[in-house]
This record gives sequence, C-alpha cells and structure tokens, in this order.
Amino acid sequence: MAERKQRTSRRSAKRPSAAELAWSRSTLDELTRDLAWSRAPSPPPGRLPPAVRRLHVLMVGWEFPPHHTGGLGVHCYELTRELTRMGHRVTFLTPFPGPFTEVPGVTFRWPGGPRLPTERPSSPGSEGEPSGPWPASYDRPIDLSRPYAEAMTDYNGWVAELTGLDDIDLVHVHDWFGTVGGTALARKLRVPMVMTVHSTEYDRSLGHPWTEILEREQLGLDAADRVIAVSRHLMAQLEERYRVPPSKLRVIYNAVRPPERLARLETGARVVLFLGRLTAMKGVDTFLRAGARVLRQLPELLLVVAGEGPEFPHLLNLAAHLGIADRVMFLGKVTEEERSGLLARASVFVLPSVVEPFGIAALEAMAAGVPTIVSKTSGVAEVAKNVFAVDFWDSEEFASRIAELLEYPTLWHTMGERGRDDALREGWAERAIETVGVYAELTSGARSLPT
Amino acid sequence: MKIVLYLHIHQPWRLARFRYLDLGSGRPYFDVPRNLAIFRGITERCYRPAFTRLRRALDEFPEFQFSLSITGTWIEQARETDPALLSELRGLVGTGRVALVGETYYHSLAFLVPPPELQEEVRLQHRTLEGEFGRAPTVLRMTELAYSDELARFAVAQGYRGMLAEGWEGVLEGGSPNHRYASRVAPELGLLLRNYPLSDDVGFRFSSRGWSEFPLTAEKYLHWIASSPGEMVGLFMDFETFGEHHPASSGILEFLSALPRAARDAPNVGWATAEEAVDLPSRGLLGAPTTISWADQNRDLGAWLGNDLQRSAFEAAKKVGVLAHQAGDPEILTAWRRLLTSDHFYYMYLGGHGADAGVHQYFSAYGNPYDAYANYMNALTDLRQRALAKLR
Repeated sequence: MAERKQRTSRRSAKRPSAAELAWSRSTLDELTRDLAWSRAPSPPPGRLPPAVRRLHVLMVGWEFPPHHTGGLGVHCYELTRELTRMGHRVTFLTPFPGPFTEVPGVTFRWPGGPRLPTERPSSPGSEGEPSGPWPASYDRPIDLSRPYAEAMTDYNGWVAELTGLDDIDLVHVHDWFGTVGGTALARKLRVPMVMTVHSTEYDRSLGHPWTEILEREQLGLDAADRVIAVSRHLMAQLEERYRVPPSKLRVIYNAVRPPERLARLETGARVVLFLGRLTAMKGVDTFLRAGARVLRQLPELLLVVAGEGPEFPHLLNLAAHLGIADRVMFLGKVTEEERSGLLARASVFVLPSVVEPFGIAALEAMAAGVPTIVSKTSGVAEVAKNVFAVDFWDSEEFASRIAELLEYPTLWHTMGERGRDDALREGWAERAIETVGVYAELTSGARSLPT
Repeated sequence: MKIVLYLHIHQPWRLARFRYLDLGSGRPYFDVPRNLAIFRGITERCYRPAFTRLRRALDEFPEFQFSLSITGTWIEQARETDPALLSELRGLVGTGRVALVGETYYHSLAFLVPPPELQEEVRLQHRTLEGEFGRAPTVLRMTELAYSDELARFAVAQGYRGMLAEGWEGVLEGGSPNHRYASRVAPELGLLLRNYPLSDDVGFRFSSRGWSEFPLTAEKYLHWIASSPGEMVGLFMDFETFGEHHPASSGILEFLSALPRAARDAPNVGWATAEEAVDLPSRGLLGAPTTISWADQNRDLGAWLGNDLQRSAFEAAKKVGVLAHQAGDPEILTAWRRLLTSDHFYYMYLGGHGADAGVHQYFSAYGNPYDAYANYMNALTDLRQRALAKLR
C-alpha cells in the first residue's frame, strides 16, 4: 500500500527528458561499438523420425519476427524454421501484414493479404459449414488500433473462414489469440488441433485475468487434441486451473540459437542487465531494488534496463526514489543487434520475473556466456542448471548473487562457460523434433506422401 | 583371514546461507540448528540403532572386533544434541575390542596446507579421543583416506604405527590389497589397504536392486571373504552406510548384525582391529609419490580440488589461514579450521562420471556447486576481514 502511495505521489517527479534518452542511446552505442560479428553456423536440421511423413501444418499465430515483443514470436520463428528444414510445410496465420522475417517453406497469410490460386473469395456460410458465433470475415486488413476485443474477433472470424487449405494435416494454435478461429477451422477441415501455451492470462495479469481472454484460452485448451506447455510449471497450472487432462499435456521447452558474435567485450563499467518487457510480471522493480543494494557496495556498477512496457513510468520513479537514477539506464526497445551487443557487454544477466512460463532471454544470456540469475519459479530454471536461482521476492538475495558474480572471478568464469554449454546443449532442432513427435501422436494413420 | 572392519564417523559443520550482503554483519557462518537437526535425524536412523546392534554383537561374540574414526566435528555435535550417544560410544570402546583411528579433528584438508597445521589438527584429535574415550589411536587415517609417501613420513614423525589407504591398483602394482604392507619411504609404518570391491559391495551396492548379487546376505558376503586369498581384508566405509546411505528398509542393519555370526560360521575367518592388523607380518613395501584417496573413479583429490571453483576456494582459504593464525583469536582460528573441512569443497564439485555425479549430489548440502562456492567465499571473505581487523 505504501508502495502504491509513493507511486502516486511521485508520479510527476520524473519523466525521462529527451536529453536523458539521448544519453541512454549514445551510451548504448558505446556499449555495443567494436563488436565483431560473425554468423554462427546453423546446426544440422532435426532428423525426421522415420515413422513421420511430411506434414503441412497450419499455424494460427500472432506476432512474428522482426516485429515481436516476446518469447512467442521467437518460438514461432524458430519452430517454423526447423519444421521446414525437416521437410514439413507451414502456413502461418497472423493478423499483422508483416513484414516477416523470411523462412523458406513458410507461407504467411494475413487478413487482406494475397490469396492463394486455389482460394475462393470468402462468402460466409456459403459452403454449408457452421460459421460459428463470430462475425463473417472481413476481406481487408484488420485495424488493430480498434478496440482489442473487436480486432480479435475479426482475426478469428477471418481464420475460421479461410479456404484453399485442403491439404492441411493439422492446426497448431499458439496462445489464446486465435483459439476461436483455429478451433472452427480444425473442425471444418476435420484435422487435429495442437495448442502451445506460452503463458496464461492468470500469469500475465498477476491474478487479475480478463474473462474474455480466459474464455478464449479455455476454449482452445478444451478443443485441442494435444496441449504443449513451455515448462513443467506451466503444465501444472494448465492442469490445475484449466483442468486440462494430463493425458493431453506435453512439455516442450524453448531453446536458443548460438549467438552471432565473436568475443565478449570487456571494457568500462560493469553492466548488470535486464532485458524484457516492462510489465509487472517481469519483476523489474526487484531488479532495481537489488541493484540499489549492490550499488552501495560496488558503486561503479551500471544497471541497464532494455525493453519497453507499461511499467516504465513506475520504474523510472522507483529508480529516482532509490537514488540510483544516475546508475540506471532505461534503453527502451532495442534491436536484435543491440540486444546481442548488450549481451556481449553484460557482466551479469538478471531475470527476476514474478511469473515466467519460460524466459528465453535468460537462455540467450547464458548462450552468450553471461552468468545469469533467474527466479526460482521461471520455466528456464527447470532446464538451466548453471545459474543462480532466487526467490522472485528476495531482492537482497538477487543483490548478493549479483555481487558474488562480480566479486568472485572464478565463479563468474565458470558459470559463464558452463552456462553457455548448458544453454546450447540442445537447440530448436531438438524442440522441433519433440513438436513433430506430438504431431505424430495425432496424424499417424493419415495418408502418406510418396517418398 | 582377518576382517579389518573400519567405520568412519563424521558430520561436518555446514554453512548457513551467508550472503555477500552479510559481510561484516557479524552473522554466524555455521547454521547450528540445521546441523544439529540433521545430526538428530541421522542419530535416529543410523547412529543409535547401529551402536545398539554393534554393542549386542560385541557382547554375544567375544571374537568380534572393529575400528572407528570419529571426527572432532562429530563429537562436538553429539555433545550438543545427544550426550547419551557419546556414552554409548564410550561403552563400545570400553569393551576393549573397538580400536580408535586417528585423523584431523576437523576432517580437513590440512595435509595440503603448510605445516604445522596438519600436526596441530592431528594432535588436537589425538587429545580429544584420549579425553573422550580414554584411548589413544596408534593408527592414522587422513581425510577421505588420502595417502602419500609424504603423509607416511608425517605419520611416523607423529608416532603412529600404521596408516589406512585405498587398495588402489596404482599403488599395489599388481599385488593384492589383502595383506599388511609397509611404506617404502618409512618402512616402520604399517599400511592397511581398503579392499574396495568388497567394501563397495556394502557401501554402495547393498541396496541396489539392479545389482546381479542383490540381495546381499551376510552368509554370501562371508563366503566371498573366506574364499579371498590373503591374510586380511580391509572393509573400510562410512559409518553412515548403516541406516543413512542405505535406509533401514534395505535390511542393512540386519546385515550388520548378521556379520559376526556369519563370520563365526565361515572357515578360517576372524576379526582384527586396525592396531592388531598392523602387527601382521609385512608383505612388502609400497610407494605413493602422489596422493590417492578413496573417492570417485580416479581415487585422487579431484573430488575436492578437481575444478577451478574448488581450487580457487582452497587457495583463498590457504591465504586466509596465514591471517587466521596471526590474528591470535581462537574464535577466528576455529572458524577457519571448520572452513577447511573437506566437505565444503566436495559441495563445489561440478560433475564428472555418471556414478560419481550421483554420489556427489547425494552428499551435497546445496542445490548446486555455485551456491556452495559463493556461500563459502562469502564466509571466508568475512573471516579474512575479521582477521585483518585484529591485526590492525
């Protein structure tokens, strides 16, 4: 309560001035300058399990790189990339008109986008199929500036009415955005449906879910033949809160690609990095509190917060309140290249999330050789052994872990090196094989393609 | 064939979580309540039932004898939790058929620290055993059964007649471990070797259902022993084997009880304490230019000093040791010596052979080796600051 009061009373205290932001950007440039870039070799594609034929997967997605904000976009990109390298075909549906990072073998479709040669102009209800409770599709780009719910309805309506998809083997829905349309489409095509859950509305809202979204999640979870969770922690939640039968649930973790860089940069002030959306579930306030505590001991530190989100004003005020405004840099959203630069420069990476179904950013930091501290409840803590795991509320412990990594060089080197091996031991190819394994549970006995 | 059953009794003082932010706070390094709680649990599952069974066996079988080493840190914890347990132990020793084996008081890596630390810790343990049990050891074992030519010389200089060591092929040069040997560099020192296959049958494999010899009975075991060539067989293991490493449900305590009867029924088998076994005629001289131990597949010091974390922590500890001695504060010196206990370094083990990694995880007081290292370094850094403050 006191916290909230403080936030309100200090609301007008400090906003980043243009000069401050400019300073941040120039420091970022400095931090990432002199990076030697090199493209890491692609690992060999996952081998197709012998019993699985080539599939055509219809993915009902949301964001896709380069314009993505979180793990969902990365996951979809890497998964479709590996699936197509294995020889499968993917048609990826998204409400956004692109641009999309090109993936050979992936066809992108969006409302108002180009039609396929086989596709008939949509006319609701004309095929005698139930068109469901959603409005007919709009054959024009969806205006995402309109109220969210309406835009969602439009997207799902468009998905449900898609035609020209006769050779689809299964529908794969990611999170709640397209569950209504995806479910209808899977029924219409008489194909199985897989749903991957990257996070739940309970988690995103920190326990204050929006009913509309909960209903869409539940609809998808009920309709899906298999549900993939990105961690055991998330799987348990799906079982308890959404009553998904365990027989339908599978866990497939996220992965990370070898970073595209040559060497770590070892100059100037030591950087403790947070990288992610500035939302309440990410626990960035804990990061700042921990940072303030460490700064008392190690005053030369620089705390870097890269990312944007609704918590930004609050965090800025908090930094001022903690008296560390001059030691914290809020960088806003960073590009992929800046992101890699920051990781190459960071001394310690912190993922202090209150709730974190997985936390790919931590795996990326590990892959870049940055010693990493994660919250115990994060999904990544289930797979990463060479990290410090801390209770998300324990800013003193986060502070101690940061200081320990900075003050004990042998610890820093050992965890960095072994963390890298840990993160890269398995990649997206392995995750794609596991995903195909789930597909195979549903598509066996279906027609085989000539080999 | 003499059975030399030697059991090692030890509990370390485990550290509390001592955060970097706790430096200079005066918080205690060691989590006394937690250590004592662990001690009570092991007492209930292992020490008390096994002491009781051993006492019964000694009463019933006058030929039954064995040897014990009991670390100073164990005795401290026993005094605080369960003085009656120490009385029971005194009762065992009082039968005259339980020999005590000397070692460092702190179960420490003092043998890798510049002198006179090792001598001081071994003498402290010697005095402690004499005071507590009225009997002084004449045979020495080093922490984790470490042994080398250098340690052999040390043992002789300290007046010990024998030492215990791993019956490792690298030392035996093709010979059998089932004889009494002597040190090549100090021939007056008797060497008793651990027969590791037979010791590990009980220590590691007893409760393993996948083992082809499962379940192991005392009769079968004694049959193996009786049919082994040699004059003695060294069965050296942790005391906690009986009820802790293997739970009571595995039947390990019944197995322990059944050993003396099975030995009586086996042809040409008897018991000997380590002290008696040293009096056996020597089979030959053995050299150990590098240090061996009873741990892991490599039988070296890799379990404690095999990785960078362990080595850096130990090097730091050595440096703090100089200050801790100079500071002239018994509290600081005691804290440092407790930090030199080998268990702390064992917890920093990062992984290795599959079987070894499992054993290490079982014995670890931490979730991972980084926690162990950081915590240790914090305590050590704090101790260093305290010692420096005294010296200023």
